[in-house]
Amino acid sequence: MKQYVIYSVTLGATWCFLHGAINLPNFLIGLVLGLLVIRPFKELYDIDKQTSYRNIIFRIPKLVRYFSMLIVEIIKASIVVAKIVLQPKIDIHPGIIAVPVRTTKDLSITAIANTITLTPGTLTIDVSNDRSALYIHSIDVSDPKELRDSIRDDLEEYVLEAFE
Amino acid sequence: MSTLTTAIDAISMFFFLIGIAFVFLGMIGLLRLPDVYNRLHATTKIGTVGAFSVMIGIVLKVGLSAMGLKAITVGLFLLLTAPIAAHMIARAAHRHGVGLCDESIMDDYGKTYK
Repeated sequence: MKQYVIYSVTLGATWCFLHGAINLPNFLIGLVLGLLVIRPFKELYDIDKQTSYRNIIFRIPKLVRYFSMLIVEIIKASIVVAKIVLQPKIDIHPGIIAVPVRTTKDLSITAIANTITLTPGTLTIDVSNDRSALYIHSIDVSDPKELRDSIRDDLEEYVLEAFE
Repeated sequence: MSTLTTAIDAISMFFFLIGIAFVFLGMIGLLRLPDVYNRLHATTKIGTVGAFSVMIGIVLKVGLSAMGLKAITVGLFLLLTAPIAAHMIARAAHRHGVGLCDESIMDDYGKTYK
């Protein structure tokens, strides 16, 4: 039941933003439509999971920290790629490596994969069948060990803190 | 009052320019980099930053009006969907046998699904 409330409040807020006016009637329309939308897609939303509102509120500072880290990393990533693009002769050593991940939760794996794609020089291609590793294409794999370490120590820490 | 509006206008113009410059660089990358996977690097990362700063420019220009709110939503959705699109394209390309470019050093993924 709590899950219903959380998702429909989120969908109501989304409705307000898409409609272009934030006010109570709009939010209520979004809320009701949200409930109708969640109903047929029940399996996707994991309705029966137990959560508490306190848990979610305590998580907000960590999410803020994660998103600020993400924005800084995206800007860094663009500058790195822009530099490579503007080199007179493109000198890169790309390749695909397997990077182990420590979690098996869907949400965390998705978040880690998306974060990796948005950070400098790396792009997630697939997750292994047993969910223990991600396959990552990197623009520079001249040192695979260092790349694995940097992903595990920097990115994963933030994501696990924010989503687990 | 008018100084403030001018300042905000100037900042939004600055964001527009940054955004357009980054999208331009992304397109150069799309043309210059060797294979599908490297090209995806250029379009996802640079494209996200470019489009996002254009959206920030719009928000600063029109404020939190209908257009500004939609720009925020578009920016957030872009942040969420650009990596997923890149991931799907790369995965499909690899499974269809699109090889890595000659400069590539290693391919851990190739052995896993054949």
